This record gives sequence, C-alpha cells and structure tokens, in this order.
Amino acid sequence: MQAKNSQEQYGAVAQLFHWIVVGLIVTQFILANKAAGLEGLAKLPVLATHKSVGMTVFGLAILRLLWRWMNPVPPMPANTPSWQRVAAHASHWALYGLLFVIPLLGWLMSSARNFPVSYFGMFTFPDLIAPNRPRYEFFHEAHELMATILFYVALVHIAAALKHHLIDRDNVLRRMLPVKLKPENR
Amino acid sequence: MMRNKIVPLLALSLLIGIAAAATQWTMQPKQSKLTFVGTQAGAQFEAVFEKFTADIKFDPKDLAGSHFDVKIDLNSVNSSDSERDDAIKGPDLFAVKQWPTAHYVAEKFTDKGGGKFSATGKLTLRNVTKDVPIEFTFEEGKDGARLKGSASLKRLDFGVGQGDWKDTSSVANEVKVRFALLLKQ
Repeated sequence: MQAKNSQEQYGAVAQLFHWIVVGLIVTQFILANKAAGLEGLAKLPVLATHKSVGMTVFGLAILRLLWRWMNPVPPMPANTPSWQRVAAHASHWALYGLLFVIPLLGWLMSSARNFPVSYFGMFTFPDLIAPNRPRYEFFHEAHELMATILFYVALVHIAAALKHHLIDRDNVLRRMLPVKLKPENR
Repeated sequence: MMRNKIVPLLALSLLIGIAAAATQWTMQPKQSKLTFVGTQAGAQFEAVFEKFTADIKFDPKDLAGSHFDVKIDLNSVNSSDSERDDAIKGPDLFAVKQWPTAHYVAEKFTDKGGGKFSATGKLTLRNVTKDVPIEFTFEEGKDGARLKGSASLKRLDFGVGQGDWKDTSSVANEVKVRFALLLKQ
C-alpha cells in the first residue's frame, strides 16, 4: 500500500491518521465519562490523561489537514447524488472542525479554571486565558455540547460508510481500509 | 542601691539598641503577594494566600539583628477553583479547622552578594515545625523596599497529604513558595 492517496483509495498516511484519531476519540469519550463519575483526587489522573490525549488529537488534526492539503483525497463515486455529495462534504468538514474546536475548548476551560494542561507530565502547555469562573462554565458547556455534536456526526459518518458497504456494495468504506478494492463491475 | 539598678537598666537599653538596629518595616498588604506553586497531574498551578502578615526587621548591614516573622491565614488560600480550595483546606491537606495558621520565622541570614540573601527559618504547618531555607533579593527604592524570593519544600514533610493524598504521582511532593513584598518604614 502506498503512503499517498491514489485516485481510488486513501494512502497509508491518511488511513493511519484516520484510524488513530478514531481510537483516540473513543478513548476520550470513555475517559470523560469515567471522570464524570469520580471525585477529588481520583478524578485528577483520568482528566490529566484526557487532556493529554486531547492535545494529541489537536496536533493530529493539524497534521491531517496539512496532509490533506498536500495530498488530495480520492473523489467520490461518479454516480453519487448531489445531496449526498453536499452531505458528505458537510459532515467531513464538521468532523475536521470539531477535532480542532473540541480540544481548543478543553484547553480554554482548563486555563479558565487554573488547571493547566500537561502533556503526559512531560511539559505544560501555556494557559490561553486567565482564571475566570464564568468563562470556565461557558467553555465547559461548549466543550460538552461540541463533543455531543461530534458523537452524532460520527454516527452519521459510520452509518453512511456502512450504507455504502452493505447496501450500495461499493468501495467507499474499503478505500479507508488497508484492503484490496473490489473491481468496479459497471 | 542605685548601682544595682543601673547595671540591669544599661543591659536592657543595650539589648533594645541591638534589636532596634535593623530597620523595622511595615508590609503593604495590597502590594504584597505570597503564592505557592503546586504540581497536579504533571501540571503546575499557582495559588495565592490572600491574607498574611509579615513582621520584617531587615537591614542588609545588620543581618544579625534581622528577623522575619510571617503568619499565613491558610483559610485565605485561593487557587482560582473553589473545589480545589476546599480540598486544600480540608482535613487531609491543610486541615484549617485544626491549624488555621502557618507560621514562618527566620533569624539566620546570609549575604550572598549582589543584593541576594538567604535565610534559614522554621516553618510551622499542621503543627509540624521544620527548617525551610529561603532565597531572596532586597531592593530599597523611593516607594519603599521590595523583598522578593522563593522557597522550596516538600509538602509531606509537614503531613500535608494524608490518606490518598500521600500519593505523589497525582500531586507532587515538591511545592514552591514565592513571595514579593512591598515594605515601608
């Protein structure tokens, strides 16, 4: 499998970015829910890991967009209806946007509460804003709202991929997997 | 008879003279700051003590007569997060209900040159008294004198961290204390 995208399939780099981010996002939802059920000292390490993973997602989102910019993605199947093209573009850009916005809101809320973001204990990110309780509340709400939106957009994204794979029986899901594409039989 | 009284009086006045040799300063609370920096899950955070008093007798030329006496109201801790403040004041950390005040007294001063000084003093926190050295600079200006410095200590030396809080992987043992005081005569 080649590193760069081809006309038919995502390359190794894009696939690796995609699936690593999938794994990290799932981890983030698990950690966030775990932290919500904890209090005091027990909550600290869980949230610290959540923040470190979040900053990793943030960094990967930047790298992914750079890679995408240098390396155009394979086009959609020629027979894709225009509403699906619009929906696919909208959901993909929503996903990219959320991968930026959610960690950024997390970073802002940590700064606003004077709980700075450490990267796995190796170094600490600078605070974006000064401590401020109302701002913390706002960024916290926004962080959770955006995460909920991500959850639903991701569900649509998965449903669409499965629809292509199981109903349309095309290569749309396969092209994001390290597998051979099915020969086009039209 | 008179002689017997004069000798102790002389001795007393001499003692007062020595004690008064180093300048007595008055701390300006609004322009003075005392903070500590803790490390929580690998990330440092700063917390302020909003109420403290510092009785400072200091003269760079009379270190022997110099003396710091600082009392910190532990209830006044502010880390910009009320939940964390409650935990800090709680029974496992400062235990402010039992020990509301921390006390620091420094008497041995050393001139390190270039306006830098160090002192060894005793910090009493949670009823535990231990030596804590401080490093500071002292600069006299038009609006008074500025005393700025820091100290490092280990919270567990004072029992700040009982039960689960003894674990130093989530909350580091090392704590840095920073102070910047404005003093007037």
